[in-house]
Amino acid sequence: MIIEICLIIDYFLVIVSCILVFYFHCIFIFCIPDFNLMLKNLKISFFLAYKSIVRGNKGTLSLTVLIMTLAFVNLIFISSIFMGIVVSMNEGAIENEFSNIVIEPGVDENYIKQVANMQSLIDSTPGVMGSAAHYVAGAIENFDENKDGKDIKSTSRPIKSINPENERRVTKIHENMVAGEYLQKSDRDKIILGREISGGYEASLEEGMSIGVDVGDEIEVIFGNGVKRDYEVKGIFSTKNIGADQMIFITEKEMESVLGTHNMASEILVKIEQTGQEDKYIKEFRRIGITEEDIKPWTEYMGMVASVMGSFNMISAILGIIGAIVAGITIFIVIYVSVVNRRRQIGILKAIGMKEKIIINSYILQALFYAILGISLGMIIVFVLLVPYFLNNPLNFPMGWVSLAVTQNNLIISSVSLFVAALIGGFIPSWQGAKQSILDAIWGN
Amino acid sequence: MIEVKNLTRTYEGRVPTQALKGVSFEVEAGEFLAIMGRSGCGKSTLLHQLGLLDTPTSGEVTIDNENVLELLDREQAEFRLKRLGYVFQEYALLPELTVLEAVYLPLMIQGTEKKEYIEKAVEMLEKVGLKDRLNHLPAELSGGEQQRVAIARAIVNTPKILFADEPCANLDSESSQDVLELFCELNKKTGQTIIMVTHEKEDREYVERVIWMKDGLIEREE
Ligand SMILES: Nc1ncnc2c1ncn2[C@@H]1O[C@H](COP(=O)(O)OP(=O)(O)OP(=O)(O)O)[C@@H](O)[C@H]1O
Ligand SMILES: [Mg+2]
Repeated sequence: MIIEICLIIDYFLVIVSCILVFYFHCIFIFCIPDFNLMLKNLKISFFLAYKSIVRGNKGTLSLTVLIMTLAFVNLIFISSIFMGIVVSMNEGAIENEFSNIVIEPGVDENYIKQVANMQSLIDSTPGVMGSAAHYVAGAIENFDENKDGKDIKSTSRPIKSINPENERRVTKIHENMVAGEYLQKSDRDKIILGREISGGYEASLEEGMSIGVDVGDEIEVIFGNGVKRDYEVKGIFSTKNIGADQMIFITEKEMESVLGTHNMASEILVKIEQTGQEDKYIKEFRRIGITEEDIKPWTEYMGMVASVMGSFNMISAILGIIGAIVAGITIFIVIYVSVVNRRRQIGILKAIGMKEKIIINSYILQALFYAILGISLGMIIVFVLLVPYFLNNPLNFPMGWVSLAVTQNNLIISSVSLFVAALIGGFIPSWQGAKQSILDAIWGN
Repeated sequence: MIEVKNLTRTYEGRVPTQALKGVSFEVEAGEFLAIMGRSGCGKSTLLHQLGLLDTPTSGEVTIDNENVLELLDREQAEFRLKRLGYVFQEYALLPELTVLEAVYLPLMIQGTEKKEYIEKAVEMLEKVGLKDRLNHLPAELSGGEQQRVAIARAIVNTPKILFADEPCANLDSESSQDVLELFCELNKKTGQTIIMVTHEKEDREYVERVIWMKDGLIEREE
């Protein structure tokens, strides 16, 4: 539905820009203030362009349109893949790491207090799908594979606690278990961890970053406050989100017994129905009394993705410009060849008394026709073939499953740049052709 | 109707050629005039200057009381469109336009109403005997037929003067006769001023006056 609307808007914009460009083109290049005369001339240009397309060589026509179509698809495709990667990274972060909104303790506080109250306030806000309170405790994790005190593998990563029932409503870790099982509320000596900690399961960090455990292994955890406990690995998860896959979870009950706390949290994640509305909910939370705590949308944690996105935008802009130039040169060559082939005809038209601008405009109209046809076919290919294909067969990237994310901006920029390329590619050769003297054109000097 | 004074044209090519060395003559309205002479004597060059297809090096050309050499490019195009008709040696038709479209194009450019320009084009094509070929493309016509289309296109705007540069050069003798008779008829019936370049001595019997050229100059008149 959204895509259809984008399409309509895009077409509208293309047509409007077409008319505008043409209008300004006529005014600036030929200075005709008389709109009626302009329209009359345009009609003749259109007549010539139409006859030339309809009665001209169909092979050349198809080839040109094909090239335009490919140029358009090329422009859309690359930036849509990049956008798809960004979308996938964002989704991964929302689904597994931060959810939509993160509440943290206020300044000078270690914990959020009265968590049960706060959560029931949050959960009863319309549009909130759930909230999950976590304790986060610094810890060292040791794994002694042969239980002989030698070759102990060790890592130092914070451990988070979850209430499995609440957590299921907020994150999707439970859907991403690749081995063993998710935690249950009553579990005490069980631990689950991401694949980057366990190692294996196509983990993407180097070997040394993991401790090489599997389901059933026992690991020793030394918490920051000195408490030391042993846990059995109950499950391993792989979300493909590198942040989430470095997390370690125990149950809330277990954590409270380690820390000696109750009804507190280091962070509360809140899931809302519509991503993008975070600021509205943050305002609402403030209004209903969460005033001391620090409340942030997930986007504030996405510094890395933002920088990746910057590079992607850069790359796709460069590729887009190259693509548009290639398309422009292609149109240029096609029109150029056709102008060269028709020098004689241009001469004849001028000998009859045809104005140069009418001749030029007829070639520009032809170029724009190629462009519009190419853009339309390109849209069809993108939306009828490529988008559904990649939805069904997403690409397996290290950061997640990636399909095409076609943005409206991307569509507009691609269409307009192709359009402008066609305009220039049609104008220059026909202008050169129409400028030469009649006799040169007819006798081919 | 036409007044030419001291017209010269020098081609600044690799080897500069003085194709016209100072030509002066006058043409009355309604005349059917032939320009003859040996190949390379400057006939086409002269016709190009008169038809405003080229710019002379020096001299004066007055057509229909207007000093045409002082007109801007745009005005010359307008002048060609409204007052001159030109028939080229080779059939100069656009391959993508049908016979009918080719003939009504000049009227269309002038802004004539659709109904009127089609009517007039059909009338012209009837005159040149191509009434049953309206929707043919040039490739589907014989050489003589194509030349007659070109003539119809040249006269459809009722030009003051019709120029024809060896209109029969590529035609067999029968088609040539058709074309020349068409010119004669136009000249007699509608008083069309016609200036025709030709090679053929036999063509003299059709025209009222002949200007003989030699080496870029007028040798004599008959
Ligand atoms: N574009 C040109 N550049 C240089 N010289 C030219 C050019 N066109 C014509 N000439 C020269 O000008 C002279 C006159 O040429 P023009 O075409 O007027 O002859 P013509 O009388 O029409 O000959 P023909 O009967 O063979 O058509 C010739 O010597 C020719 O070589
Ligand atoms: Mg000649």
